Amino acid sequence: MNKSPRLNRFLEITPGAISWGIILFLIAISVWRPIICAVLIIIFDFYWIIRTVYLTTLLIMAYKKLSQQKSRDWLSDCQRLKSASDWQSVYHLIIFPVYKEGLEILRPSLQALKQCRYPKDRMIVVVAFEERYASSREKAKVLEEEFQKSFLGYLSTFHPDGIPGEARTKGANATWAAKHAKDLLTAKSIPYEDVIVSCFDADTCVDKEYFSCLTYHFLTTHKPHQASYQPMPVYNNNIWYAPSFARLVEISASFCQMIESMRLEKFVTFSSHSMSFKTLVKIDYWPVNMVSDDSVVYWKAFLFYKGEYRVVPLYITVSMDAAYSTNFFKTIIIQYKQKRRWAWGVENFPFVISRFLNNGDIPLAKKLRRSFHLLESHITWAVWAIIITLIAPLPILLGGAFFNQMPIGYNLPKITGLLLNFTLGTSLVWVLMSIAILPPRPPDVKWTKNVVLILEWVIVPFVVLILGSTPALDAQTRLMFARYMEFYPTDKMRRK
Amino acid sequence: MLSEQRLRAFLFYLSLGIFLMGLPPILSSTLGYKFDRRTFKFTKAGLIVLKTQPAGASVYLDKQLLNIKTPATINELLPGRYNIRFELERHYPWSNEVEVEAGKVTRLEKIILFPLRPYIKQLNKDRLSVFMVDEEKESVYYINQSEDSIYKSDPEGEHFEKIGNFTKILPPAVKWKISPDHQKVLYFNANQIGITSLVSPKENLIVNAGFVLNYPQGGILDVFWYSDSYHLVLVSSRSIQALEAQSSSQPVVLVNLTKKNTCAYYDTRTDTLYFLDSQKAADGNLYDNLYKIHLDTRAFILQELIKLKAYE
Repeated sequence: MNKSPRLNRFLEITPGAISWGIILFLIAISVWRPIICAVLIIIFDFYWIIRTVYLTTLLIMAYKKLSQQKSRDWLSDCQRLKSASDWQSVYHLIIFPVYKEGLEILRPSLQALKQCRYPKDRMIVVVAFEERYASSREKAKVLEEEFQKSFLGYLSTFHPDGIPGEARTKGANATWAAKHAKDLLTAKSIPYEDVIVSCFDADTCVDKEYFSCLTYHFLTTHKPHQASYQPMPVYNNNIWYAPSFARLVEISASFCQMIESMRLEKFVTFSSHSMSFKTLVKIDYWPVNMVSDDSVVYWKAFLFYKGEYRVVPLYITVSMDAAYSTNFFKTIIIQYKQKRRWAWGVENFPFVISRFLNNGDIPLAKKLRRSFHLLESHITWAVWAIIITLIAPLPILLGGAFFNQMPIGYNLPKITGLLLNFTLGTSLVWVLMSIAILPPRPPDVKWTKNVVLILEWVIVPFVVLILGSTPALDAQTRLMFARYMEFYPTDKMRRK
Repeated sequence: MLSEQRLRAFLFYLSLGIFLMGLPPILSSTLGYKFDRRTFKFTKAGLIVLKTQPAGASVYLDKQLLNIKTPATINELLPGRYNIRFELERHYPWSNEVEVEAGKVTRLEKIILFPLRPYIKQLNKDRLSVFMVDEEKESVYYINQSEDSIYKSDPEGEHFEKIGNFTKILPPAVKWKISPDHQKVLYFNANQIGITSLVSPKENLIVNAGFVLNYPQGGILDVFWYSDSYHLVLVSSRSIQALEAQSSSQPVVLVNLTKKNTCAYYDTRTDTLYFLDSQKAADGNLYDNLYKIHLDTRAFILQELIKLKAYE
């Protein structure tokens, strides 16, 4: 399908080249043409104010939906469906690809499955270990003893290293596990079209209504096999113990995902998600040589169904671990690497565009719109924080006395200040919501932490500077120079 | 879901509309353009930035009161001359003509509005004839020459206290100078130099009552502290001399002067003395010249000079 290596390289270079082009162009004209630079910055600032207000409104809408559906009895809703027997025919295949996570991470995830209201005799669990780690078999044995009898099926798989065409990615492990699960389903005579597969990060703890909610949506969605189902990821497992810096980043990530859930035409699967097993088999599973398997699997299905594939948002949470470490600097590094891995989703751009070019079945307008969304989101991610924090003051600093005598020289810092104030205003909404989505405070956490939760938003400009654009620019630069990333799993840390 | 997506689409197009409608006025305003309703054209305007001290003054533009208080900016002014006036209660008004140029910022940022009746506060709590202000130590010293006593307070006149007495000289001292180390003060008339401590008895464990150096030749014009606060540089009508600030000091002559009433300036940071003196030129006339002596070899050389003189 992807026959031209030159075209592929060109597409790999494109996002990074555009991002760097924008940054270098703005720096250059801040010296040579400060007025033009200032005009562009004011346009960007104004655009950013409007965008921030728009996105915050979407966040409020998403939060409202999440709150409304929080206490909904999805299992009863399934039972009330017209053909009540339908829901009982739906099976759930749950795959947990494991890297080096220990039992203290895996056990609560399986425990959460066990506590789900959905009948366990409709659930098959696959814990997918990497064979290269000596402790994998030992962990598998312990978990099998604890959970094997709790579900219809329970399988431990061990993904071998060095399969030709594979990279060390989560997708390769998940694919290996799904192929083994397929054999199990065949052995149990369960039709693939009745199976919904959920691929969860090892630390994912689902809500007890998750599978009921998923089943309801699967049964009520038009063409259910042509859709992925995306829950709202929150990082609540250890959020009360995470340092402020990490907590802010993770809460912001949850909010971004909530906002995306309101923009269905752009919505792509992220992290833990579910889809039809039949579709997964048809599209030949997850990619085995790409880091961003969670989004590439969506694009594979999108291409397979000629653009008639979508993501259905589930307003129910799946809780994961906030990434942090033993000290501040290690936490920054872990967070940076995690965000860079997310930003490595830019590899979707060459993957998708090269296939769009060879696909005449998808309408051109749809291909152009999706390509633009994909490119625009990655470019914006890589440049916005750099423009606002580092480039905005440059015309004043480098423009010289002449520029500072001009009205625009006087107005530029005022407009930038207005932007900051406006952003602070919208931040207030984010602060209030960040408190609202938190789980109850554990008994060993002092009440003063509530105060810290509000005050910590003061460090947002610092967080934005470090983790706003730089990881995305880093990822795009690596792709530009063909320094391909391997999957870097985030170290998980949880209080015992 | 559908109605939600419709609402979202509405919000999107509303945002887009606000962006497209809001951008031209924002850009034209920041670039300094003003839309002229009469001609239906954009004209390049200027702006005036106004800052006063204190802030909060009313602003008049060509005698018309504007609805702004300083600090403020008057935007979109067509090029030309404007009369600006600031008014603030209980302060002198400020008024002037300013030129506004197209596409430029005129800055009125260093305007001080002086009070009509400045607040005056009496600091001393006893009689005084002379005072000195030590900015670094944030102290004010008061000299009562009739009682030979020195008082001290902070710059607000608080903590007023007597710190000691000084040895009287007659006629009364013409100048008082605090030493660079802020510990002592010298005072002098034409033939006597007095030195006394400025350290209050509470702080001063070694009591130094002060002393007077007699200069029988007379004609002292000025005395300066050397940077070590131990030596003095004396300028008289006959010579420039260096001496130690102690009762048995033996001065050394650094320069003999031709000019009878010279004037001098001493830079304590570099220990440099600037002075005027006359010199006979080839035409036989005396002309004044400005000279300087570097005494920055520190006390070492001065000390040696003074010792040599003492042994003589």
